[in-house]
Amino acid sequence: MYRDYGPKEVKFFFIYKSLAHPELAGNYVQPFTLSERLDHARQAERQLGASIPWIVDAMDNRLKHALGDRPNSEFIVNPEGIIIRKRAWSDPAQVRKDLEELVGPVDRITREEDVQLKLELPPKATAAVRIMPRLNRPKMQPIMMEPQIEPEGPPFFAKLRAEADAGLLKDGTGKLYLGFHLDPFHNAHWNNLTEPLSFRIETVEGVTIDKWEAAAPKVSVASDADPREFMLKMAAWPGDKPLRLTVSYFACVGEESCYTVTQEYVLHRERDIDGGGARGEGAGYWESEEFAQRMLASDKDKDGKLAKSEATGIIAPQFSKLDRNKDGFLDLDELEVFSDWLNYHHQPGVPSSESETTQ
Amino acid sequence: MRIVLTFLMLALAFVAFPTGVQAQKMQEREEDFLRSKPLIGDHLPDVTVYSPDGTPSKTGDLRGHYTVLTFGCLT
Repeated sequence: MYRDYGPKEVKFFFIYKSLAHPELAGNYVQPFTLSERLDHARQAERQLGASIPWIVDAMDNRLKHALGDRPNSEFIVNPEGIIIRKRAWSDPAQVRKDLEELVGPVDRITREEDVQLKLELPPKATAAVRIMPRLNRPKMQPIMMEPQIEPEGPPFFAKLRAEADAGLLKDGTGKLYLGFHLDPFHNAHWNNLTEPLSFRIETVEGVTIDKWEAAAPKVSVASDADPREFMLKMAAWPGDKPLRLTVSYFACVGEESCYTVTQEYVLHRERDIDGGGARGEGAGYWESEEFAQRMLASDKDKDGKLAKSEATGIIAPQFSKLDRNKDGFLDLDELEVFSDWLNYHHQPGVPSSESETTQ
Repeated sequence: MRIVLTFLMLALAFVAFPTGVQAQKMQEREEDFLRSKPLIGDHLPDVTVYSPDGTPSKTGDLRGHYTVLTFGCLT
């Protein structure tokens, strides 16, 4: 569409916003600084390979908030700067119809196969993953937190993801998830040859927590890139009393550059509407490959793909749509794509509609 | 390829596989969204945004052309 309507003086922009689903493919985590968000946008340019330029929302997410807080919404603005179309979910086919109406049809419609996109994959993990068992945390919501950024300090190689269950958010009693996730853009891994990551929360009068401080377990391999996760039980956390948390860890970039890091956060008992819905293994969602392998359990002739006659359950009614290459079979890739879609709609995995977040 | 497909699937998800209940939910969400501000006919809010190289600009300057804006991210 960009190729068809760019020459007709229609401008197209993707707006880069806070992550809708941290920890999804690529293990991306929410950036803390504008510079880090710009890194994300440049990675998005590479991964998507599209010529459409990106514009990047500010770190206070002002454009996202001003335009209704939807993760994949779409707007058409006329030459006077007035919104003339808006959709909660991007619908390219409908945009084409809109543009045909607004500026006229094109002589030849560019098809997907006409566009040779140069696509890139997400960066690979810097060290071994799936070394540490992950914590399961369905139905938890991200909470507001302020990383205490020191201009001269080291980057936040590890970034905190803080989530609360419904009870904690509502009346201050419930579970608090603390996950320290390595940011793939800083290319670091844990140095397990020294002390593991530890955190400490400053005590607040009246508040009870089962762990005011804790250390991650020792890991048997020299380095890895799994998150360090903790589930805390809390009671009587008042909404107006933020918690101050200090974390210490050892991170290495490559073989040589290792850092001893101590960083602070202030946590608020308030849902973060820009935090997104996490998609990690611990977050109660399907892992694409695991899902695809499960579906292949009904592969009776063991040829590594599902024929229509072998498809069962939720796959069966969608068979023809899922068979993207129209070869009459669903292969691993096609099943993995479907799992991403299922994850996105929170079915049939553990989370219910209660776990949906504004992204 | 998978992440790109993921991205595309997120963009096309509802279009690609709407079934009864999902289609209804989608419709309701669209209607809610249409009723929320900014409304069709309102000016695009004027806020500062950045190009991926960090150059600031104002969304209020997106004038003189039809402009299609689509939200997205890496996930």
